[in-house]
Parts: sequence; structure tokens; C-alpha cells
Amino acid sequence: MNWNWFYRMGSPRWFYESTSRWLPWLGALTFLLLAGGLVWGLAFAPEDAKQGNSFRIIYLHVPASFLALAGYFLMATAGAIGLIWKMKLSYMVMKCAAPLGAVLTFLALFTGAVWGKPTWGSYWVWDARVTSMLILLFLYLGVLALQYAFDSKDVGNKASAILALVGTVNIPIIYKSVDWWFTLHQPATIRFTEAPSMHPDMFQPLLVMILGFYCFYAVALILSVRVEILARERKTSWVRERVKQATQNTLGAGL
Amino acid sequence: MNFQFDNVSHMLNMDGHGAYVWTAVVVTVLLMTWLIINPLLQGRNVFKEIAREVSREQLRQDAVKEGT
Repeated sequence: MNWNWFYRMGSPRWFYESTSRWLPWLGALTFLLLAGGLVWGLAFAPEDAKQGNSFRIIYLHVPASFLALAGYFLMATAGAIGLIWKMKLSYMVMKCAAPLGAVLTFLALFTGAVWGKPTWGSYWVWDARVTSMLILLFLYLGVLALQYAFDSKDVGNKASAILALVGTVNIPIIYKSVDWWFTLHQPATIRFTEAPSMHPDMFQPLLVMILGFYCFYAVALILSVRVEILARERKTSWVRERVKQATQNTLGAGL
Repeated sequence: MNFQFDNVSHMLNMDGHGAYVWTAVVVTVLLMTWLIINPLLQGRNVFKEIAREVSREQLRQDAVKEGT
């Protein structure tokens, strides 16, 4: 089998140059999806029969939680690829995915808390789902902290990758927690095996938001990986060439 | 698909749930905007730093050329 594509994908230069081309388009699509989905969900989706308008928080809570989990998988996979093939780009992706995932996990917990107050009567409950999400937040912060805990970048990368891989054990626990321990958190609205337990009028804007969050995750991750690439490859000729061209262009525009 | 509220103040209030819903919206939008703005600003700084390094090297090379 020809593995060239795999090694080409591992090249920071290839990544930087190809993302330059389509990132603006992805950014525009993300904005449209998120703005459209949010207005649809907040103002046009019908009110929930039991929870009233507080249920509208679902349009932020569920997509943020989805991406907090999916982002963890991505981070752990990037760490594994880095450990096995010693790919620089892969470690960069892992490093950038940690703060991004931490913010999304925080958002899932925060939107859950303000949804919990009117629904459960409390901002915080030591429910199985909520607690396992809190552990996910600590795992993200742990991966982030390990990056900076060693003098050698290489050792830091390896340590964070191992923590990320060990932590994946938490992901199926979070996913299944609502079925294993029937506490407060409601069971999943969307399942792979069944039709969603939600009216289509409510479900369609949620799908748009989930799609928008996926695109957002890609944009945010790519943006920070690009910064990482520039900073680490600053001595290479292709980065210098790019910087020279850009400064000439701005000079030319200024004159 | 209909607009679910009578007017803007009804939408802000959301029958008593407005404070919760809008807090969630504002915090989410702020943090997500920060996740985009932060790498953009950082990227610009790194770009400027490299540009300074490049021009410094250029000057040094020119000086060496004039010296010979």
C-alpha cells in the first residue's frame, strides 16, 4: 500500500498551505450554521410541554457536550499517532485540542447548571453524568498542564499523550452513565440505533447546531494549529518566504 | 414554523426562564468568540516576530556585502 498520503498529511507545511485555501469558506459556513441554528432554536422552535422555555438551552448544551466528547477522542487519537509515528503535526493537534476541549466541557457543565436550576431546582447535582463530565474537564486540564510540566517538549508531549489515552476510559462511562445509573440527568435524546425522542420541529434546529459546532471545532482547532506551526517552523525557508511575501504585500498596499 | 413570542420583551423574559437561557447564550457566545479571536491575535504576533527576524537578518547580510 502506498503510504505517501499519510506522510504528506504529517507535513506541517502541507497542512498550513492547504488550510489557507479553504479555511475562510469553512469559517463562513460555521457562522451561518451557528447563527441560523441559534435563532431557529431560540425563537422559532416550539416550547417544551414540561420544561417550558428553559429547554431552549438544549441548543447549546447538547452540541457543546458532543464536541467535548468527540474532541477528547480526537486528542487521544492524535496523541497515539504521535507516540507511534513520532509525527510533529500530530502532537501539535493534541496540544491545541486540550484547551479547546476544556472550554467546551466547561460550556457543557455551565449550560447544564443554568438549565438544572429551573428544571431540577439546583445548579449542581452529583449525578453520574454531571460528575463524569467534571472528570473529563480535569482530564483536559491535566493534558494541558503536563505539556508545560517538563523542560523537554518531547517528554511533555509523550506524557500528555499517555494521559490522554488512559483517560479515554472515561468516554464510554460518560456516554453510558445515563443508562447505568438512573439518577437525575435525562437519557440521551439522540441515539444511533433509534429515532430521536424529540419532535422534528425541535430536532431540526438541534441538528443544525450540532453540525455548526462540529464546523466550529474544526475552525478553532485549525486556527490554533496554524499558529503552532508558524511558531515552531519559524526558521524554515517556506515560513520565511511566506512572511516576506506578506510584508511586501502590506507594504505595497500601504504605498 | 412560527415565531414563538409576542414581542421582544416576551422573548427576553421567556415566561420566567429568560435569565437562565440568556445567561447560557451570552457565556457560550463570548467563550466561542474568544476561541476564534485568540489564535488569530497570537498568529499575528508570531507573524510580526518572524518578520522582524527576517528583516534583521537581511540588514546583517547587506552590511556584510558592503564590507567586502
